[in-house]
Amino acid sequence: MTALEIWLKQATKGVSRDSANQVRTEIQEHWKSSEEDALRGGASSEEASTLALKSLGDPKKANCEYRKVMLTSAEARILRTGNGEARAFCSVPAARWIFLVAAAAVLTGAAVFFVKGEVSLARLLLLGGIGMGFVAGAPFFSVYTPARSRIFRSVKWVWLVALYAFAFAPLGWGWFWLLVSCLWPVAWTEYTRMSIRRKLPISEWPKQLYL
Amino acid sequence: MNFKGTLPTLILEVLIREASHGYRIAQEIKARSKGVLDFKEGTLYPALHKLENEGLVESYEGVEKGRPRRYYRITKPGKATLAKDRSQWLELSRAVTTILGEA
Repeated sequence: MTALEIWLKQATKGVSRDSANQVRTEIQEHWKSSEEDALRGGASSEEASTLALKSLGDPKKANCEYRKVMLTSAEARILRTGNGEARAFCSVPAARWIFLVAAAAVLTGAAVFFVKGEVSLARLLLLGGIGMGFVAGAPFFSVYTPARSRIFRSVKWVWLVALYAFAFAPLGWGWFWLLVSCLWPVAWTEYTRMSIRRKLPISEWPKQLYL
Repeated sequence: MNFKGTLPTLILEVLIREASHGYRIAQEIKARSKGVLDFKEGTLYPALHKLENEGLVESYEGVEKGRPRRYYRITKPGKATLAKDRSQWLELSRAVTTILGEA
């Protein structure tokens, strides 16, 4: 393995395969030009290679920078496999209507419980039904622009937190761990998507990144 | 000299003249600063990718001396960002010079 290959291996550690290939191509081009310049300047072949490699700097620092701006292997995997929402809401036309009908059923349930005098349960179902309707209605609102999707996600989070607060508030702080356990997978997915959104040009965003 | 944080502005400044590839951008920055801004070139490409992700530059495949190369050119938002960065830098530089001049 040459010194350049070792540098590239360290610089692309943890970076997705596509991104790593891109890095390899551009660094190899760069290294070749740098080596040619050093040769023209009178350096020997060995000196030119060493100078070209030295000018690239510390591969670990480069790796740290690359991981900030390029997709990591884990993010690429999430992008490939984590499109459940998109599949449910965007790809199967019937699913859109099923979710809307479910939201309507929950809202009807809220009305029924309200009439029966069970106000707190009715309030919870109302909040749940409104949120479900909002999320299920995403394909109909056409949220697939950065500005609209930002509004959609903000409303989604406000609704989610309000729903959990309504559901868990009567139980007291003793159940806080359950609230955190329920919310953290959603929060983690959102955090990863935020990172992916920063790293991908908007023109390359798949539909699930808008939701 | 440490010029962390200003590299994206310097890249945009080079690209406003003409589209270029990574190696030439690095050499241009070093040459125009008369060797004062000597940075490790491995950090140039992450900065270029960040600018591309933000829509401030765009890349395309080109050929130089028979070899395929990835060229970068500045976009309209990139030009606006550069104008803003330039005026902020001049203002900061004037303020620092004034304070240092008083000492």
